[in-house]
Amino acid sequence: MKAFQEFTKGIINENPVFVMALGLCPTLAVSTSVSNAIGMGAAATFVLLCSNIIISLIKNLIPNKVRIPCFILVIASFVTIVDMTMEAYVPPLHKSLGIFIPLIVVNCIILGRAEAFASKNGVFKSILDGLGMGVGFTLAIMVIALIREILGAGTILDMRILPASYKPMIAAILPPGAFITIGLLMGLLNIFQNKKKSKA
Amino acid sequence: MDFSTLFIIIIGSIFINNFVIARFLGLCPYIGVSKKMDSAVGMGMAVIFVMTMASTITWLIYTFLLNETTSIFGIDLTFLRTITFILSIAVLVQFVEMVIKKMAPELYKALGIYLPLITTNCAVLGVSLLNINENYNFIESIVNGASAGVGFTLVLVLMAGIRERLEYANVPKSMRGMPISFIVAGCMALAFLGFSGMKF
Amino acid sequence: MKEIIRPALILLIICVIASVILAIIYKQTAPLIAQNKLMAEEQARKTVLPEAAVFKPVIENDQILYYEGFDTDSSLVGYVFSCFQYGYSSDVKTMVGLTTNLKISAITVVSQMETPGLGANCTKLGFLNQFSGKDPAEIYVDKDGGDIQSLTGATITSRAVTNAIRDTFLKIRDKL
Repeated sequence: MKAFQEFTKGIINENPVFVMALGLCPTLAVSTSVSNAIGMGAAATFVLLCSNIIISLIKNLIPNKVRIPCFILVIASFVTIVDMTMEAYVPPLHKSLGIFIPLIVVNCIILGRAEAFASKNGVFKSILDGLGMGVGFTLAIMVIALIREILGAGTILDMRILPASYKPMIAAILPPGAFITIGLLMGLLNIFQNKKKSKA
Repeated sequence: MDFSTLFIIIIGSIFINNFVIARFLGLCPYIGVSKKMDSAVGMGMAVIFVMTMASTITWLIYTFLLNETTSIFGIDLTFLRTITFILSIAVLVQFVEMVIKKMAPELYKALGIYLPLITTNCAVLGVSLLNINENYNFIESIVNGASAGVGFTLVLVLMAGIRERLEYANVPKSMRGMPISFIVAGCMALAFLGFSGMKF
Repeated sequence: MKEIIRPALILLIICVIASVILAIIYKQTAPLIAQNKLMAEEQARKTVLPEAAVFKPVIENDQILYYEGFDTDSSLVGYVFSCFQYGYSSDVKTMVGLTTNLKISAITVVSQMETPGLGANCTKLGFLNQFSGKDPAEIYVDKDGGDIQSLTGATITSRAVTNAIRDTFLKIRDKL
C-alpha cells in the first residue's frame, strides 16, 4: 500500500466510527458541541500517535503472551499525561470532557490499531496510520457535533448561526439526538457506498 | 447502613442515569452483542459480575494505595489511577475468562471475542472512575457497580428482543444492521428520558 | 518457569518506566492545577462583588462560612457566600455577593449539570441579573408567590437556585 494511502484510509474507507463502529462511547458523549469534539479528537489523536510510535518501536521486545497488558500500559501512560496536561493548561475543556478523558484508554480505536497495525509494522507507517485514524475519528465526531449543535443550540463554536428566533431542538443535545443522528449518518454513508458499488 | 442512599444509587444507575442510554458508556458491546437474546443475557451476566468485582477492587486500590490521606504509603499517587484501574480490570477479565472456560464452555463459545472485550468496555472503567468522583464509600461503590451492570443488562436485553423482531421487518437496504439499531437506541433513550428528574 | 519470568519482568520494567515518567509530569502539573482551582474561585468571588479587591474567609468549626470583601483602602464593602441545592438532575452551586446592608449585589452559578437548553440556562445573565438588589431572605420564585421569574420550562432549577440562596443566607445572617 502506498504510504499516503495508509493515512487516507482512516478518513473515509476505514473510518473508525462510521465504518468500523469503534470508539462509539466518546463520539456520542462528546458531540454536544463542536469545541468539545475538536478537543476530544485532538487528545485521542495525540494518544493514538504516541502509543503507535512507542509500540511500533518496542514491538520486538514484547513477548506475545503479555502483549495486551503491555499495550494497555503504554496507552494508559499517555492518557494520564494528556489528562494531567489538559487539567493544568485548559481547565474548561478538561471539565466539559469529564471522565471521557481517562476513558480514552479503553477507546477501542487505540487498542485496536496497536494490536492490528503498530505491533506489525514499522514506525513511519504506524505514524501515518495513527494520524489517519485520529483525523478520521476527529472528523466523525465533528460532523455529528455540527449537526447536534446547530439543531440543538443554533450555534457553532458558540457563534450564533441560526437566527435568535429559532427554538432549539433540545432533543438533539440530549442522548436520543446522538443515537438518531449517528444512525441516520451511517444510513446515508451506506447509500453512497451502495451507489459506488453498483456503478463499479 | 443508609438504605435510602443505596436505594437512590440503585434506581439512579439502572433507570435515571442508565449507563448505556444516558451516560453513553458500554456502547460497543451494546451494538455488537445485542443481536441474539441468549448471547445478550450471557454477556449481561458476565458484565454485572465484572462491574461489581471491578468496583470493589478499584475502590480498594484507590483508598489504600493511591489516596494520600488513607493510603498505606501516605503520598499522593492519584495520578496512577488510570493505569492501576485498567490493569486490574484487565487481570480481572482474564480471570473471569478462565473460570467461564472451565465451568460453562458453551457460554464461552457463544461469547467468543466479546468476553475479553469486556476489558475495553467503557462502562467497567467508567463505573470505577465515577465511584471515586462521587466519593462513594465501599458499600456504595459495590452497589453502584452492580446496579450499573444491571442497567446495562436491562438495556442490552431490551435491544436484543427488538432486534430479533427487526429481522422480520422490512428495513430499507441502507439502514439494515447498525443504522436501524442506532435509531432504535435513540427511541429507547427518548423513553428513558422520562425517568430523568425523579427524586425521592 | 522461564516463560513466566521473562514476560513478567518486561511488564515490570515498562511499569516502572511509565510510573517514573508520570511522576515527573505530575510534579510539573500539580501546582498549576491547584493554582487554577484557586484562581477560578477567586474569579467567581470577584464577579459577584466587583468592588472588593481582597477576600478574607470567616471560619467556624473548620468550615468557611463566608468571605468578607475589602477594597484597596481595607474597608469592608460586602460579603460573599456559596450555597448549593440539588436541582433537576444535579447539584447547582451558586456564589452570592452581598452589600454591606445585606442585599444581593450579584450572583453567579459556579457549577451545574442541568438539562441543556432548559435548566442549564440558569447561568445566563438574563436570569441571574434579576437577583441583584433583592433581599435574600425574601426571595421566592413566581410559582411560590415571589418575584423571581423562573426560567421557561425549568421551574425546578430556578427554585433550587432561589431556595439555596435564601436558606443559606438565613443560616448565616446572624453571624455577618
